[in-house]
Amino acid sequence: MFDKILIANRGEIAVRIIRACKELGIRTLAVYSTTDADSLHVQLADEAICVGEAPSKESYLKIDRIISAAEVGDIEAIHPGYGFLSENAHFAEVCENCNIKFIGPSSAAIRAMGDKVAARESMRKAGVPVVPGSDGPVDDEQNALKTARRIGYPVIVKAAGGGGGRGMRVAHNDPSLVKGYHTARSEAERAFGNSVVYIEKYIENPRHIEFQILADRKGKTIHLGERDCSLQRRHQKLLEESPSPALTNDLRKKMGKTAVKAAEAVRYTNAGTVEFLLDAKGDFYFIEMNTRVQVEHPVTEEVTGIDIVKEQIRIAAGEELGYDQKDIQFQKAAIECRLNAEDPFNGFQPSPGRIEFLHVPGGHGVRVDTHVYAGYNIPPHYDSLIAKLICYGHDRRVALDRMARALDEFMIRGVKTTIPLHKLILKDPNFRRGRYSTSFVERLLAASQPLVPPSAEE
Amino acid sequence: MELEQIRAIIAMMKENDLSEFSMEQDGLKIRIKRGPEGLQQTVTLPPPVSTAPVSIPVVTGAPAIASSSATPAAGVEHITSPMVGTFYRAASPDAPPYVEVGQQVDPETVVCIIEAMKVMNEIKAEMTGVITEILAENAKPVEFGQKLFVVRVK
Repeated sequence: MFDKILIANRGEIAVRIIRACKELGIRTLAVYSTTDADSLHVQLADEAICVGEAPSKESYLKIDRIISAAEVGDIEAIHPGYGFLSENAHFAEVCENCNIKFIGPSSAAIRAMGDKVAARESMRKAGVPVVPGSDGPVDDEQNALKTARRIGYPVIVKAAGGGGGRGMRVAHNDPSLVKGYHTARSEAERAFGNSVVYIEKYIENPRHIEFQILADRKGKTIHLGERDCSLQRRHQKLLEESPSPALTNDLRKKMGKTAVKAAEAVRYTNAGTVEFLLDAKGDFYFIEMNTRVQVEHPVTEEVTGIDIVKEQIRIAAGEELGYDQKDIQFQKAAIECRLNAEDPFNGFQPSPGRIEFLHVPGGHGVRVDTHVYAGYNIPPHYDSLIAKLICYGHDRRVALDRMARALDEFMIRGVKTTIPLHKLILKDPNFRRGRYSTSFVERLLAASQPLVPPSAEE
Repeated sequence: MELEQIRAIIAMMKENDLSEFSMEQDGLKIRIKRGPEGLQQTVTLPPPVSTAPVSIPVVTGAPAIASSSATPAAGVEHITSPMVGTFYRAASPDAPPYVEVGQQVDPETVVCIIEAMKVMNEIKAEMTGVITEILAENAKPVEFGQKLFVVRVK
């Protein structure tokens, strides 16, 4: 087992990783930017090294400084968290070359799934259903039109170097395809430095179902069930739950087996997530694989009882998974709400600033993963996620009631948060019945325009 | 700094109705502020690279802000580290140090080496003045922004 781990991240996930390390008796080294000097992850870690100024590319993305910190800190392994360098194959390679264990899959697996066009191809070869689409990259307007007409509208143009909902354009006809094709390419060039795009059939109102994978280095690959992440706004997830109200046991078994096949096709190790779209007919298609731990991992932890971050560390240290697929039990229903420092009454404008007052909910079946505390100054340089509220119980009904209760108890003053939006979602009768797809949130927002601001007492 | 010393300082502040106290000594910075909400105190050790524990905020309410470095006196600047690595006073173990206390420097003067990933980086003063203090220790790790030298500038 490792003696000391460097956490190459910040915020709530850095706190999460430090917690797992502490429980495993592993010492921790935090890296931080100048603006994060008072951050909770810095305070909780055994040691901390400043790696640069506030902007991510001046600090958390500075591979050379992070590796230097690992060297002076006598580090055996680096946990990259999510975002930042977690899916950077070059960083994983640098770690490998410097004899530092990268807690995640190999750089080869990251590369295989990071190139979305190559990933589609590998999946097709492995017999994993993919969304009908172009055979590889689409190099010019004429080919774009040919492909779109072959697949049939509506289609979506996607960046090969993108992912996570960025660099995408939907088109319903030839003119909008031509426009979308060129826009997507220039956006992709600017955002990812890579203008390669491909085209897929656009599945209308799908459900986004992802499967959590764990694979050890001896080749054992299992899944820990699904998370339904259909509740999104502009392709950013707001709420996730497991089990998915849309899955029967049979469909779960089928999709689970397929997810494992996908991971094995790229010789995946450590934790990862295979994402599918599920259409109204019950057909599912691979869209991408996330080769890292995800924001919403606590949902699966509460349903199965497995500590995913600890398993990541154990797998990286060479341990074998101590259980098989048949041992995985889905014991609870769990829901997670992502609470962002954004103003839902003002176009979800980011709301950085000082948290004057904070009271987090508690009680049976409530978990809060956060890095914020009363008096903490939320910096404007990073994403707006400030807390994850996870509620779980014997079944979905209990988890829903618990989440509604916990949202009512959650108090933050000083910054705006998206709590009011979550309260609205939890009240919605269709959501409560499990009837929703990826268009749900936009429709709810449109129907409730304007969102009613809370009364003065709240 | 002992808890007793902190208590003594707080008592002294209350007695003399002082609202703010700060002190820097031997790498320890402490700032205590009395406000209408009651006493807030922070004791922060500079983020260590060795095994010293990082501060646990000792506070009745929320963890308060860690004390920032005191604004330097007029005419005094710091040469800070632009990277993470190991600080060396000289080009090699048997070479003389690049600079000593009292030495004049100009922007192009090499003041030290910071070794990062087997690369020896020469660090320049980037200011004109006289070295008055050497804060970093030879062959010890330094972090980004860490103060290496105190310089009395023209």
